[in-house]
Amino acid sequence: MRTRLVPPAGVSDPALAELRTQVRTFLHEQIDAGVFTPGIDTWLTRWNPEFTRALAARGWLGMTIPVEYGGHGRSFMERFVVTEELLAVGAPVAAQWVADRQAAPSLLKYGTEEQKQRFLPGIAAGQICWAIGMSEPESGSDLAGVKTRATRTDGGWSVTGTKLWTSGAHHADAFFALARSAPLDPAHRHDGLSQFIVLLDSPGVTIRPILSMSGDHHFNEVILDEVFVPDDLVLGRIGAGWEQVTSELGFERSGPERFLSTFGLLDGLVGGVAAGTAPRDTRIGAIIGRMVGLHGMSTAVSESLQRGENAELAASVVKVLGTKTEGDVADLADELCGYTASDEGLADLVRAGVMQRPGFTLRGGTSEILRGVIARGLGMR
Amino acid sequence: MSNNGSDIDHTELRDFAAMLAEVLTPGDDHRIGAVVRLDRPLWSTLADLGLTRLTGREESGGSGAGWAEAALLLTAVGASAAAVPVAENDLLAGWLLEEAGLAAADAVRTVAVVDDSGAARSVPWARDTDSIVVTWRAGDGTWRVADVPRDRIELTAAVDLASEPRDHIRVDLSAVDGVEISGAVVEQIRYRGALARALASAGAMERIVELVVEHTTARVQFGRPLGRFQAVQALVADLAAESALARAAVDGAVARVSEHGFGGDATRFAVAAAASCAGHAAAVVARNAHQALGAIGFTMEHELHRHTNRILSWRSEFGTLAAWDAELLDAAMTAGQVWPLITGADRAPRNGRERVGPGRSERPGG
Repeated sequence: MRTRLVPPAGVSDPALAELRTQVRTFLHEQIDAGVFTPGIDTWLTRWNPEFTRALAARGWLGMTIPVEYGGHGRSFMERFVVTEELLAVGAPVAAQWVADRQAAPSLLKYGTEEQKQRFLPGIAAGQICWAIGMSEPESGSDLAGVKTRATRTDGGWSVTGTKLWTSGAHHADAFFALARSAPLDPAHRHDGLSQFIVLLDSPGVTIRPILSMSGDHHFNEVILDEVFVPDDLVLGRIGAGWEQVTSELGFERSGPERFLSTFGLLDGLVGGVAAGTAPRDTRIGAIIGRMVGLHGMSTAVSESLQRGENAELAASVVKVLGTKTEGDVADLADELCGYTASDEGLADLVRAGVMQRPGFTLRGGTSEILRGVIARGLGMR
Repeated sequence: MSNNGSDIDHTELRDFAAMLAEVLTPGDDHRIGAVVRLDRPLWSTLADLGLTRLTGREESGGSGAGWAEAALLLTAVGASAAAVPVAENDLLAGWLLEEAGLAAADAVRTVAVVDDSGAARSVPWARDTDSIVVTWRAGDGTWRVADVPRDRIELTAAVDLASEPRDHIRVDLSAVDGVEISGAVVEQIRYRGALARALASAGAMERIVELVVEHTTARVQFGRPLGRFQAVQALVADLAAESALARAAVDGAVARVSEHGFGGDATRFAVAAAASCAGHAAAVVARNAHQALGAIGFTMEHELHRHTNRILSWRSEFGTLAAWDAELLDAAMTAGQVWPLITGADRAPRNGRERVGPGRSERPGG
């Protein structure tokens, strides 16, 4: 049998189409009411706690968290549909993003009962925000090389090191810090790593802004200086950090934000052509065609995750293709309309697209790393 | 003649695909001299299995299958570079005759939309057929269709990039008595043809991925297999990803067509997306595959060119790639917003009928 990198999509469910319509209607009401202006890369750049809580009030946050932890016990596919709608319209969802996407599933999978009770209801209510504690100054793609150290201390662990590119840390309540809890064994680099729930208002935590080239503040450097993490805030098992963080990356890599970050700009381009302010360039149509394929693939990945399968390979394919395509939208809009576009709304989107584009193929695993994952999936390495 | 239609209806698509894999095997060179000719022995085998009129109505000698089965057959034909006009004979000519209510004895057929002078260019497999189902716009503006015997057609031999027959033809329309057919039916030829080509391309690209992986894991340079070099891994990962994207778009269009036929705007959008994705993928897949295989890959003896030249040919048939891209853009401008268009072309729910097929029957519905 031929290698199938991405599983086929299954049959669709009318209930999902109904949910999709409900979310879409709500979002257009919010836009009409001036609650938000559709933007670019809003899952990273638009932090709006009120909007996040409005979604929570409708049950569209923490959807897959069980009811006993304040969630809604809904399916992965239902969450996928809501997520797609939020992204396609460019809604301000950064405040909930990391908590909802990866912190909640990791807590459910590896957390203690006490940790679940403590954090999940707040995540589902849009009141607890999370950041990512993986990358470091000396460790980007090569995550096993993290230098942050956790040493045993009375009643817990003392964590010291620096986390970098920590989006939203200046707003967030906590992150899972990936740290080395046992000395590096060069023969088994993935051993000896652990994850710790670090509350970002703990003594010893310093958060410094890092401005993006656009001048905006999303990134941070988070310095951990002998931060005390009590035993009851260790996530999962000491020494099992690599397996856990790989699972977390699975949730981080697989979603529709890997092709929809610039979707509003694609709409803007089409509108520009219709209004006669952008040329009728068939490359726009080609990108629309790719979006159809990506939506189908992303649906299949979500279905696969819902079945509890390992979707790492399929997610890598979607991410490589999707992040290239969402970047192509920005490039093409720049080429056809430019930041000088007479439509000011469109000009703003072009600028934002060009400023955010370099990150698309880096964050959550660079395309180069993911191509290696695909090659391995094909049996080449 | 032989009709396994009822069997096909009751056989899971998975078994159907396994059967196809036994009949349609890659690697055989169907080339005779400089030009590929219809593989008659294979055609007979396919006919005996009820595959040459797979989607024809059972009462007219067909196998009564749908696009889900046709998709598997076209994929297998594409993957094996088989020289058999199943798309032309069944999904186009056979279907058109049924639409026109014309009786159709068993034959090898293709289809051609001719101009006022009775001419059409690049008609697939024309020289190897028994008759050509010709459609044209009559002087009164109506569309007519007729099953014209091959010996009454003037033919100028021509081939596509893969040396398969794509002949230029001329029919003496004054000597042909056509049956009226609606313009809407004629319009569907383009969509049916493009989807058939996209499916065959998807199959061919999947075979190319296999060939490339085989070569790059076996071929050793600088003391290690080519696949150990990251630059080569990147080439191959990209072509495999493009192939997967085309497959996703094509699968989506087939699911849509299976439920709704070819009539609606959403189906047309889905087919246009499939044709666009498969066509653009063909460029990356062909280039990267040839790059990975080096000089051996563009020799006559190697299998690769049979697939790469076919996918590059197919993307120009039943509408150019640029025409499909333009159609997607036009659809978006008409709709006003792009996203509802994309989700609106989703696979529609199936009405109580469990879908069978590779990896599908065990799937939950949502």
